[in-house]
Amino acid sequence: MVTLFLPPALICYALSSAGFIADRAMGRIRWTGSAAVALAIGAVFHALDLVARGIQAGNFPVANFAESLSFLAWLIALVALVMIVRLRMAIIGAVIGPIVTVASLVALMTMQTTRLVLPESLRSVWLPIHVTLACLGYSMFVLATAVSFVYLVYESKLKAKRVMRAANSDVPSLEKLDRINYRLLVWGFLMLSLAIVSGAIWADATWGHFWNWEPVESWSLVIWILYAALLESRLTVGWRGRRAATLTIVVFTVLVGSVVGVILASPGKHGGTFG
Amino acid sequence: MENSLFILGVNHRTAPVSVRERLAFAEAEVAPALQRLKQSSGIGEAALLSTCNRVEVIGVTSDPERAEEEVTRFLARDREVERGAFADALYHFNGRDAVRHLFRVGASLDSMVVGEPQILGQLKLAYAQAAEAATVGLVLHRAFHKAFQVAKRVRKATLIGHGSVSISSVAVSLAGQIFDTLSNKTAMLMGAGKMAELTARHLKALGIESLLITSRTFDRAVALARELGGTAVPFENYKPYLRIADILIGSVSVAKPILTHHDVEAIIRERKYKPMFLIDLGVPRNFDERLNEIENIYLYDIDDLDAVAQKSLGDREREAEKAEEIVVEEIDAFLKWLAELEIVPTIKDIRVSMEKLRDLELTRHRAWLKTLEPAERERIEMLTRGLVNKLLHRVMAGLRHHDRSSPEAINTAEIARLLLCETNGETPAPMDLDDLEEDLIEDSNDDGDPL
Repeated sequence: MVTLFLPPALICYALSSAGFIADRAMGRIRWTGSAAVALAIGAVFHALDLVARGIQAGNFPVANFAESLSFLAWLIALVALVMIVRLRMAIIGAVIGPIVTVASLVALMTMQTTRLVLPESLRSVWLPIHVTLACLGYSMFVLATAVSFVYLVYESKLKAKRVMRAANSDVPSLEKLDRINYRLLVWGFLMLSLAIVSGAIWADATWGHFWNWEPVESWSLVIWILYAALLESRLTVGWRGRRAATLTIVVFTVLVGSVVGVILASPGKHGGTFG
Repeated sequence: MENSLFILGVNHRTAPVSVRERLAFAEAEVAPALQRLKQSSGIGEAALLSTCNRVEVIGVTSDPERAEEEVTRFLARDREVERGAFADALYHFNGRDAVRHLFRVGASLDSMVVGEPQILGQLKLAYAQAAEAATVGLVLHRAFHKAFQVAKRVRKATLIGHGSVSISSVAVSLAGQIFDTLSNKTAMLMGAGKMAELTARHLKALGIESLLITSRTFDRAVALARELGGTAVPFENYKPYLRIADILIGSVSVAKPILTHHDVEAIIRERKYKPMFLIDLGVPRNFDERLNEIENIYLYDIDDLDAVAQKSLGDREREAEKAEEIVVEEIDAFLKWLAELEIVPTIKDIRVSMEKLRDLELTRHRAWLKTLEPAERERIEMLTRGLVNKLLHRVMAGLRHHDRSSPEAINTAEIARLLLCETNGETPAPMDLDDLEEDLIEDSNDDGDPL
C-alpha cells in the first residue's frame, strides 16, 4: 500500500537536512530557518501519510516493520522540531535530519504494496497506546543520543582549545546540552516504562499472561534496566557531562543492536513490529 | 555650484593619543563648536565626530581646498592647538573618497579593533548633535543615513562583529560555552590583578550570582569586593570555598602552581563532577596545566585566551574584505543620488515659473471665465494644467536623457532654465527641502529609503 504523501515528506526531510548541514559546514546561519520550515512541512506530509494509511487499513498503521519505522521517524522529526524551535537547538537538526531522512527512505523502500490488516487478536485500544508510548520513548532516546554526540564533539573542542568558528557562537553551552540530555532520558525512560506496563496489560487481556518472556519483552526489560542505571548514576554519584554522554551512546547502541537482533531472529508475538 | 562631501580629521593611525586628546571635543562642546564653525568659515553643512580614536569634521563644500584651510584653522583656534602640532596628522578626503571614508568608519572598518560595535553609536550621536546645531542639510542628512544603512548591511552580511578579541571577553565567552547561565554560578578571584578585575566586571555585568575575592593583601580583596559587590575571603583560608566556585580566576604572583592535580580531583568529586572553568591569568601560571586533563575541568591560561583572541581578529579581517566590497557598491548609489541633486533645483524652478505663467493667463481672462458654467470653467482649468504638465514632462525627459553628472546635463539644465524661467530677476520661491526630497525619491529609481 503506497500513499502519495511519503515521497514529498522524504524530499522535505532531505532538503531540511541539507540546509542544517550546510549552515554547520559554512559556519553561518543562513538556511537554518528554511530548514526548520522544511522539516515541519515534511512532518505534515508524513502525518497525512500515516492518517491515509490508517484509514485504508482500518487500524493504527503499525502493522509491520516498515510502518513502525515510518511512525518512529515521524515522532523523531516532531521531537526534533520542538527542540529546534523551543530550545533553539538548530545544531540538532544537522544530526537528526539525516536520521529521519534515512529512516523514512528505508520505510518507503520496504513498504509492502499489499493492504495490511492486523489480525483480529491484535486489534485493540491498547495497540495505539502501547505502540505510541514505545515509539515516543525510542524517539527520546534517539534525540538524547544525538545531543550526547553533539556534547562530546563540543566538549573535546573546548578541552583541546580549538575554539569554534565565529558564527558557531550560537551553539548551546555544555551545561544546556547536558541538561537536555538528562531531560530526554527521563522522559524516554518514563515512556518506556509505560509502554512495558501497557504492553503487559494488553497481553493479559489478549492471552491471559502479563509476561511471556518473548525476545522483545526480554530485551525491553534489559534496556529499561540500563536506562535506569544510567539515570541512577547521574543522581547519586553525579556522572554527568562527558561520562553521561558516552553512556547514553553506549546504551543506545545496545538498544539498536537488540532491535536489529530481534528483527533478524524470530520476532515472536510482536510480529514484524519491534514496539 | 557643485557640492561634494569632504572629511578632515585625525585618527588612531595618523595621530598619537597625545595629539588626539588635544583635538577632542567633549559631548556638550560639539553643537556650539559646529555653530562656531558654520559662522566663521561659511561651510553650510558640517558634523563633528569625536571619539577616543578619531576627531573628524564631515562637511559639504563646493570648494574643497578652501574648506580644508578653513577647517584646519577652525580646529587650531577652537581647540587652542598650534597648527604645526597636528597638521601632519590630518587626512583630507574629498568627493568619492570622503563618502568611502564615512561608510568605512560607520561599518567599523576603520576602527582600531575592526568590527567593534561602538563606532556606529558614536556616528549616530555625531549626526544627532549636528542636527541639533542645525548644521546638517540635505547632503549630510542623506550621507549619514546611507552610512548607517551600509553599517547595518555589513553587520548582516558579514561576520565582522563576531568573536571575542580581548583576553577578558574571550574568557567570558568561553564561560558562556560551558555554562548555560551565570545567574546561578559563583566565580572566585584569586589575586586581584587588573585583568582579573576586568574579567570579574564582565561576569558581573552578565549577572553572575556571587563573586568571591581572595588576595594576599586582604585589604585589597575587601576594597575590590566592596566595589564589585562580592565577598572577600582571607587568603589563608580560601580552600574550603573552592568547591562552590564554578569559575576560578587566578592572578596571584607565585613561584609554582597553587592548585595541584590532587587538590582539584578532590574538589571535582565533591562537586559531583559539576564543571569548573579555570582561568589562569597569572605569569608564572597559577594552575598546573595538567588540570585540564581532569574530567569536567576546563583550564585556559593567558596564552590560550590570547590565541583565541588572535584567531577572532584574523577572522574579522577576512570578513572585512567582504565588507569593503559592500562599501564600494553603496558609494556608487550615493554618488548617483548626489549628481541627480544638481538638476533637481532647475526642474523645480521651471515648474514654478510655468505655473506662474498659467496663473497669470487665467487671471487675465477672469472676467470672461466668470460668465461660463462651473463645469466649463473646470474644463478650462484642466486644459491649462494639462498643457503645463505636458511641457514640463518634455523638459524633464530631455534632462534625464543625459548622464546627470555629465557637464552636458548641467549645461542643458542651465539653457532650459534660461529659456523657460522668467528673467525679470525675480528669484523662484524658496525650496522646501522635504518636498524636494520627496520629489527626488519619486523621480529616482534607486532604493530611495525614507529619511
